[in-house]
Amino acid sequence: MAAEVVAVDIASVQASQLGMKALGAGIAVGLTGIGTGVAEMGIGSAAVGAVAENKDMFGLALLFTVIPETIVIFGLVVALLLLFV
Amino acid sequence: MLKPKQMSRLLIAASRDQMAPVIAELYRFNLFHIEDYVDAGAEGYEGFKIGSPLSGASEKSADLIKIRAITNAVSLSADNVDAGPSCSMDELQTKIERELPLLEREVEELTVRRSKLDAREKELEQKITEITPFADIPVDLNLYHGYKRFTTIAGYVSREVILTVPCEMHVSKRDGKNFIVVVYPTERRSEVEKILQEAGFQSVPVPNESGSAKGRIEFYTGEIADTKKEILEISTQLEDVKKKHASFLVACEELLKAEVDQTEAPLRFATTKQTFVAEGWVPADQVTVVTNSLIHVTEGKIFVTVVPTDPEHDSVPVEYNNPDFAKPTEVLMDIYSRPGYTEVDPTLMVSIVFPIFFGLILGDVGYGLILLIMSYWLRKFLKDGDGRQLLDVLRNASLSSIFFGIIFSEFLGFAIPGWNPVLYSRHLMSEHGGHGPNIPELMVLSIWIGILHITLGRLLSMYNHAKQDHGHHRTMAVLANFGWLSVMWGIIIVIWSVAAVPLMPDLSGLSAVATAPGTGFGLNPAAVIGGVLVLVGIVFIARESVLEVIELPTIVSHVLSYARLVAVGLSSVAIAMVVNYMSITMFISPALENFSIFGIVMILVGIAVFLLGHTLNIALGILGGGLHSIRLHYVEFFTKFYKGGGRKYIPFGMKRRFTEE
Repeated sequence: MAAEVVAVDIASVQASQLGMKALGAGIAVGLTGIGTGVAEMGIGSAAVGAVAENKDMFGLALLFTVIPETIVIFGLVVALLLLFV
Repeated sequence: MLKPKQMSRLLIAASRDQMAPVIAELYRFNLFHIEDYVDAGAEGYEGFKIGSPLSGASEKSADLIKIRAITNAVSLSADNVDAGPSCSMDELQTKIERELPLLEREVEELTVRRSKLDAREKELEQKITEITPFADIPVDLNLYHGYKRFTTIAGYVSREVILTVPCEMHVSKRDGKNFIVVVYPTERRSEVEKILQEAGFQSVPVPNESGSAKGRIEFYTGEIADTKKEILEISTQLEDVKKKHASFLVACEELLKAEVDQTEAPLRFATTKQTFVAEGWVPADQVTVVTNSLIHVTEGKIFVTVVPTDPEHDSVPVEYNNPDFAKPTEVLMDIYSRPGYTEVDPTLMVSIVFPIFFGLILGDVGYGLILLIMSYWLRKFLKDGDGRQLLDVLRNASLSSIFFGIIFSEFLGFAIPGWNPVLYSRHLMSEHGGHGPNIPELMVLSIWIGILHITLGRLLSMYNHAKQDHGHHRTMAVLANFGWLSVMWGIIIVIWSVAAVPLMPDLSGLSAVATAPGTGFGLNPAAVIGGVLVLVGIVFIARESVLEVIELPTIVSHVLSYARLVAVGLSSVAIAMVVNYMSITMFISPALENFSIFGIVMILVGIAVFLLGHTLNIALGILGGGLHSIRLHYVEFFTKFYKGGGRKYIPFGMKRRFTEE
């Protein structure tokens, strides 16, 4: 009887740990996504303005715009590590 | 390879009567990048003036303008015409003299008629909008005017209004606004205006028409339809002209452009009364050919010499020098910046590494095949140079995508049956064949790629600085780059010394040789070496510029940034698997088990989900695979060594597509 209760407890603890991991992964991607979005907002609008003035700026503008993308990639990496490692 | 083409500065001097043959010969070669002569009293050029165009320049320009007017009118662009059978110059010349004026008249007539009709259509539409408010008022339009003692006004008021003046007033409600028409005795004008002004009156012109308003609107609508029909007819006629004369028009434009370019070339030369001097750049290996040929056409009455140059201070035009397979990648380089004349041209490296990155991100045989077909199919629409180059890049990338698809055993998100992933699996669900995903290994693999890529970038930077800089600054710059490398590898060795990482050497087992002061933490030889490398590196970086030290964290972030190769790739795998799961497991399989009418609907929905989902994923794949790969080059790789800013080499001449020499 006691052994069964312990087994059920362990199973539920494991399940909730799995759920926590999934939550953590979701939060990691979600928050970093918001961060990237906020960061790219300003850069993106300025970049579009610059490109409208001078088409040669395109490469540089694209470069500046995608710099904050690293943040969300970090989030994705953390999420993957949480879920699979 | 890895270096722009070597250029030589050529100085050509001859008497003025040789100008035409020399220009024609240079144009034919399409190699001479003219250095425009600026009348700024440069040393050795005292008394020279900017030349004047050759004879016939204005007539030819006028002809060219005519041709361009026609091609504009029929919206024809040479980029969208396949290079057809070339016509000879004489043939074209006679054709231009004979046919061009006729064609011009025809097209002009049509375009003038079309613009007149366009104007008429606008006018009619304007009339309709003017009459529309009066449609609800049951008074004929001819009753609004023709009075001596009465005035008619019409317009909108914000609220209902009562006029104390004797008058005839009609009110109608339109779109929540009150529209009124008032006919009042002219001598009471000031009173009426005052009352109306208080009611927020906005006046509308009273149309000068007769008959009922609705009838007029119908009449004008009919007129507009007729006008539209006529415009359409003219457009089809113009389209016919375009079809019939397209090859002639583009050939004409090309011929005339060549002639205008040549007749206007002297505007870029330095001339005196009797002579002219042209300076420009020619690829070093072509100098003798060009020189000999110039001497030949002028029968020796010319002076051509190579002027000594200083590659650092003269801005030498830059022409890529790449093997054929790397040529398409030049378009990606030009988007960023053309390499400088003295620095390493990384096009070749990008052309190899970019498809590999793309394949790592979008490694899927199915998607690769679709992109490959797309890169050939889109050729129908993109006929100009840059577009074609981009398609070539896409082709290379999709080939790499197919290759990595085989390695990862993926086909539209499914495992390839009977084929296990070579090395590492990216399948997120184990039932899709083999074991689950090897995330840690893949992640470390991408980090390794990052470490090597960045190391290569820093080594190139050391080479560039060693080549371009001088004296003390050169040593500093080279050492600073060595410092960056040293810090990066130092950090890596320290990590190895404390933790076992898959796919990387494990140095954590070494016995401790020292204790970290204050913490009692054992340091093994690897940790000590790593620490020393970091410190030495920081010293070298700070010696060049202390401010650079705050950039140190970018070492970590740049290396980790390469994890996107796996992360973005896995997200695309995940989307593909979800799409497959939804369409097959949720819709198609159950429907096939219990076959019924409803089952057919389920199957159709399943197929729709499948197509829609994979289309979306391909679009994301191009964006993700392409943008992230190129970004890794632009941000992580190029910032280490690449300056760019080279001047484009624009040789005087053209590639003839429709005409012969």
